[in-house]
Amino acid sequence: MFELFSDNSDQFLSGLWVTTRLVAASFLVAVVLGTLIAALRVAPNKWVNRAGGVYVEIFRDTPLLVLLFIAYPGLRRSGVEIGAWTAGIAALGVYTSAYVAEVLRSGVFAVARGQAEAGLSLGFTQPQVMRRIVLPQAARTVIGPLGSITIAMIKNSAIVGASIVALPDLLKEARIVNSNTFQTEESFLWAAVGYLLLTITVTIIFRSLESRYAVRR
Amino acid sequence: MKSRWFTTACTVTVLALAGAGCGSDDGDDGGTTSAASTGASSTAAPAAGAAEKFPASTTMGKIQARGEIKIGVKYDVPPFGFKNPRNDQIEGFDIDFGKAVADALGVKPTYVEAISDNRIPFIKDGTADLILSTMTINAERVKEIGFTNPYFIAKGRILQKKGGGITGVDGLAGKTVCTALGSTYEETLKKQAPKAKLQLVDTYSECLELIQNGAVDAVSTDDVILTGMIIQDDSLELVEGEALTTEPYGGGLKKGDTAYTEFLNGVLDKYKSDGRWATAYEKWLGQYTGEKQEPPTETLDSVLAAAAG
Repeated sequence: MFELFSDNSDQFLSGLWVTTRLVAASFLVAVVLGTLIAALRVAPNKWVNRAGGVYVEIFRDTPLLVLLFIAYPGLRRSGVEIGAWTAGIAALGVYTSAYVAEVLRSGVFAVARGQAEAGLSLGFTQPQVMRRIVLPQAARTVIGPLGSITIAMIKNSAIVGASIVALPDLLKEARIVNSNTFQTEESFLWAAVGYLLLTITVTIIFRSLESRYAVRR
Repeated sequence: MKSRWFTTACTVTVLALAGAGCGSDDGDDGGTTSAASTGASSTAAPAAGAAEKFPASTTMGKIQARGEIKIGVKYDVPPFGFKNPRNDQIEGFDIDFGKAVADALGVKPTYVEAISDNRIPFIKDGTADLILSTMTINAERVKEIGFTNPYFIAKGRILQKKGGGITGVDGLAGKTVCTALGSTYEETLKKQAPKAKLQLVDTYSECLELIQNGAVDAVSTDDVILTGMIIQDDSLELVEGEALTTEPYGGGLKKGDTAYTEFLNGVLDKYKSDGRWATAYEKWLGQYTGEKQEPPTETLDSVLAAAAG
């Protein structure tokens, strides 16, 4: 079992590195886009709200595999010279951003209305209330759910490798090792260990963030 | 109100579980059917009149008792194995040989999709009784599964867009080449074109998509599979020059099943000698390529020896 890993460590490690980069880049895209969309979702204007809602429904309700097809062969057939990496990161990032937006929105709404009203009555402007009163409190409540989304994203990243985008990620490398060695159980066990390393790391990071910003109750 | 919600939730859960249960039953019904129909095998296989009856302990006998042979084939590799979108039938050169095997047993052929990456596990775990899926006989695979004598000899070639500028295997340096994960070309390309960038996908239809939309520069695999792609899209062409490899296709079966191997080789010999092989060749390849080919005379041992030497 350990022999399979040491014999093929180059492939497993390069796969793990590809998955790590894919997840890190997609996470950035998801958080930046998700925050922007969440801002639309909590804006006072009804139409701005709906625009954000449409974005969330489109990308949350479309299967990731379909998004990958649109982002890679779909765009290429429409004349966009998109690469496999860009397509993979864009699809996974945009897909996840819809979930991030929903979590951030519910976090903002979880802050009691009286808080914002109190801020406004003390003479803060609307953006100041958002930045200084609502968002810091909202951030605490969303750390946990964001951790779950990140872990789901790590697992979803395997779809990018298995799809037509075919990035050489951890699962793909494990399948290549399997096809060369025919040691199916061991190959996939090591892939599972790799994914577990990533998800446990993310769990630890989010746990520590959570305890650092936790409200003492 | 609360209890009603609880009831609804329970009902939904139970239904979902029941649905999942039914789904997984489908996967096992080969086993249960074979157990149930063992006693009634004479009625289960009405076409068995012409077929030889095999002892129940042999693989052939078990297949006859079940009334169907499960054959793993490609669903997306015309002209060898593909699902015809017009009538949903599985067709091709591999399928015609599969029918000949089923006829010899007097049973009905049923097909499962076996992609390059899962066909060997399918043999090992009994999902398929026989694999006819453009599978090359080679030394690594012989360690895992058994093979029939070759029923077709393909050549390894490269496909590019017309005017792509690749002139030989050396021209692949720095280019992106698509092939199927788990196929022999992964190794072949690493050896013969070490500077090429490999794009490993699950199915050859994905390679066709990727070369059509320009994401890869070339596709490398067996000439007949590439010919199938050219039949679908005539803006593609084969790169001239010597073949990369020789790829003898064999039928895959459980390792060490000598009686079953001999039976399959017997069916193949008859298939080759009575003209059915030539008919299938003309139907699936000859009429498109304009080429003629004789049935292969090589045996499993001779192709393994040739590969080793």
